[in-house]
Amino acid sequence: MNGTPGLLRAAAAVWWRDFVAWRKFWRSSILLNFGEPLTNLLALGVGLGAYVAVMQGVSFLQFIAPGLLAVTAMNAVTFDAGFDTYDKLNSSGVYAAMLTSPLTVPEIVLGEYLWEATRAILYGAVFFLVILAFGLVHSWWSLLVPLPLILFGVLFTAPALYVAAVARTHEQLFYYFSLVITPMFMFSGVFFPVAHLPWIVQDIIYILPLYHGVLLTRAMVLGQMTVGMIWQFVWLIAYAAILAYLPVRALARRLTT
Amino acid sequence: MVATDFHLTAGAGGQVEDVIVARSLEKTYGDVRAVRGIDFTIRRGECFAFLGPNGAGKSSTIRMLSCLSPISGGDLIVLGRKADIGERRIKERLGIVSQDDNVDPDLSLMENLLVYARYFGMPRAEAEQHAEQLLTFMQLEGRSKAAVRELSGGMRRRLVIARALMHRPDILVLDEPTTGLDPQARLLVWGAVQQLKAQGVTIVLTTHYMDEAERLADRLVVMDHGRILQEDAPRPLIERTVGREAVEIWQRDGGDDQAFIAAAEDALLLSDRHGETLVLYAADPGRIGQNFASHGLAPERMLVRPTNLEDVFLTLTGRDLRE
Repeated sequence: MNGTPGLLRAAAAVWWRDFVAWRKFWRSSILLNFGEPLTNLLALGVGLGAYVAVMQGVSFLQFIAPGLLAVTAMNAVTFDAGFDTYDKLNSSGVYAAMLTSPLTVPEIVLGEYLWEATRAILYGAVFFLVILAFGLVHSWWSLLVPLPLILFGVLFTAPALYVAAVARTHEQLFYYFSLVITPMFMFSGVFFPVAHLPWIVQDIIYILPLYHGVLLTRAMVLGQMTVGMIWQFVWLIAYAAILAYLPVRALARRLTT
Repeated sequence: MVATDFHLTAGAGGQVEDVIVARSLEKTYGDVRAVRGIDFTIRRGECFAFLGPNGAGKSSTIRMLSCLSPISGGDLIVLGRKADIGERRIKERLGIVSQDDNVDPDLSLMENLLVYARYFGMPRAEAEQHAEQLLTFMQLEGRSKAAVRELSGGMRRRLVIARALMHRPDILVLDEPTTGLDPQARLLVWGAVQQLKAQGVTIVLTTHYMDEAERLADRLVVMDHGRILQEDAPRPLIERTVGREAVEIWQRDGGDDQAFIAAAEDALLLSDRHGETLVLYAADPGRIGQNFASHGLAPERMLVRPTNLEDVFLTLTGRDLRE
């Protein structure tokens, strides 16, 4: 009658829980996630763009649009994985309830990766439609944009889950957002090419996963894909592999005493 | 209460079988020894209760046998398997109602049950049918689409119990199931537990409500400071520990305890003072009153009542407050 699900079906059950919860609030959730990137696109792209004529051969608006798509996906993942996980651990008891079933912590984490990858694609897709309407999409390569966004589902979820597991207050979550996520957003080549920066700064930026995501989405949207772009994928996959296990132990420690 | 026949339990052939066995079971948190080597055996189909003040080690024990907390020492066998954290073959057969009402606040009642069934790999159609039955069983029918945030405390608890029954567990684990509920909600929960027991479900219960333990439990242990102090069926335990009758005496001036104790003579089993009140326990009803009469002793106010588990509890665990 009952068959305890294997790893993938178990993770799919966790995904399903998040989807059912999201379905209730999807309109406000999408709206909330678009205020900021849309403001950036209009204020900086159109406003500042009037003074910055050309960047790497395209208009400033055109330059920042694909990068903002990557940022939208990153934020959709980061804030959900951060705040939602914190609440699931500390107030609603959603994870504690999951553990009274046969679900295990690694299955829960994998389920969250699947869900956040879904969010990254979904929110990235809506932003994509916006820049498409602005006439800022120039290549069929754009159809591959979901590929880096799937990896965002691990890359940005893993550290957010970890921070949510070790944070003792809501405020401590904000440290992560303001000290890690916001600087990454500003320096990952969304608003300006990093080539003119000092070498040491460039090396640091090269470590940031968002940088590689931005390069990929921009190359895809502008139709500037080259064989070398494979290395950006290799970077992202390697990061994802390294980070994937990070939150498992932290969550297990919080949930099993 | 609606009659139900949905709960078909495996192995309900009336045979006595030990479904949970603990030997020298221990739990430590750093330097704190929450459970200090306890032994108990729970049989199939019975309701077994853990009684004790806060910090006695009840919840630690319950969490270990639910495979939610690592075992620090000793042996714990649940349904023939060694209990251990994350032992999913045990969890498949346990229904766990934890102290905090951890229903999913973002989901409706029905969604709570269906999502949970999915964690067990239950087919959707079967889950929907069973969820309807359980909402009716816990008197939540007609609210299946309501948001959990709109529920009262009693309704939330009933939903947690319904959720714990979704996968038709062999053992239902209830950690303080009626704490914070009003009398009507408590009666409803008790009725549900009794029906489940009648269907062959083994019930494991922690509580610090004596009337709850007396009403529901076939057997119980009284725990304090991580140890089991007594184990028995409620009535034999009461009579063995505090006899059958309690005589409560108030005196305006506080009175002379020794005079009453002496007057009770050989009828007296045990005496205890709770603040203003002197309590004398007797094995045989009526004898203390007779002895007082023969000594010409008449307390200002006197209450004669049957003994209960609360007497046992307070006698065994003392009267100091626990944090």
